[in-house]
Amino acid sequence: MNADVLEKPTVSVPPASGEPEDERTVVKRAKSGDMAAYDELVRRYEERIYATVYHMTANHEDANDLAQEAFIKAYQALNSFKGDSSFFTWVYRIAVNKTINFLKQRRNKAHLSLNDLDFNAEHDPDLVALISDKTPRRDVNLSELQQKLNEAMQKLSEVHRLVVTLHDIQGLSHEEISKIMDCNTGTVRSRLFYARQQLQAYLSDYLK
Amino acid sequence: MNSSPEDFEGLRRLLALKRHEQPPPGYFDHFSDKVIARIEAEGLVMRSSWWQRLFPELDARPVLVSAYGLVIVGLLVVGLGASQSLETAESASPVLASPWLGPTPAPTEVALTPIDPSARQMIGQSDSRSSFTPVVSSTAPSFLFDVNQWKTRGNLGLTDYAVPAP
Repeated sequence: MNADVLEKPTVSVPPASGEPEDERTVVKRAKSGDMAAYDELVRRYEERIYATVYHMTANHEDANDLAQEAFIKAYQALNSFKGDSSFFTWVYRIAVNKTINFLKQRRNKAHLSLNDLDFNAEHDPDLVALISDKTPRRDVNLSELQQKLNEAMQKLSEVHRLVVTLHDIQGLSHEEISKIMDCNTGTVRSRLFYARQQLQAYLSDYLK
Repeated sequence: MNSSPEDFEGLRRLLALKRHEQPPPGYFDHFSDKVIARIEAEGLVMRSSWWQRLFPELDARPVLVSAYGLVIVGLLVVGLGASQSLETAESASPVLASPWLGPTPAPTEVALTPIDPSARQMIGQSDSRSSFTPVVSSTAPSFLFDVNQWKTRGNLGLTDYAVPAP
């Protein structure tokens, strides 16, 4: 996929369901120069944007820079945002494009800088089951598993990593991903299938 | 191509681990502040006029828009009514007709006193130009500076002043 195609955040997408009703109002206020309104928009989506970039780069510092730059670029281009799509989808596209361009330049120079696992990880039923029951290497700890998982993710191409990140980690639907990646849902599904196959192969030692 | 969930159940569980990777505590407390600070530092802040700022506000508040429209319509109606009542009053009573809007009265003629013939003779004019007629002359009358002419034109003569001896 050409990253330049994603660079144009002009696709007409209806607002996502469950979106706050007054997002358009906040965007209009931000467009009129109200910095408090833009601050509110950043606060709404900062965690999701950061998380996506982080899972793509596996580097906290890069994710920090790229997420900030994505919001700055979105502000610069705010007047070109017509409101046909949700602001969330629009800013997501900007962040994804920035990240893909960054990864293309950084290729073969990946350096992992992983965030710590939160306290809940040890109690996550899926992870508990994975480690205690089905993992052949039962002595593995969560940190090691985290390291191997991120290394495997970095072996995927950018678009395949993006699909896995958005669907399997962030929980976005195929439709939402297709809007962000500017492709049809069939392409999203096929990329997701291929990416999972690749990951399964890389992580076979840690899976049943 | 089938990607049924059970095919990747183990992988799905493993990927759940990624959701637990979190930035340092408090990381998002100042994230937006940093973004805004960078926007301001790079001089990207959009400035808008009060008019541009007003429109989003109006757009956001339909009640305010309606009230604004009603005020405008009300002012128009009041203005129209006032102008019609003025016209009616003017036609009904000529006294009330606005004097300041009526025709300007013709200027009254000022009766000019004819110039005394002796004075006219003195200044050497024979016509009857009024004082409103500007006198344009490039030179002053010669008799003003000739003592001999004074004698011939009137009863003018030299006067001796005798200074009494002390």
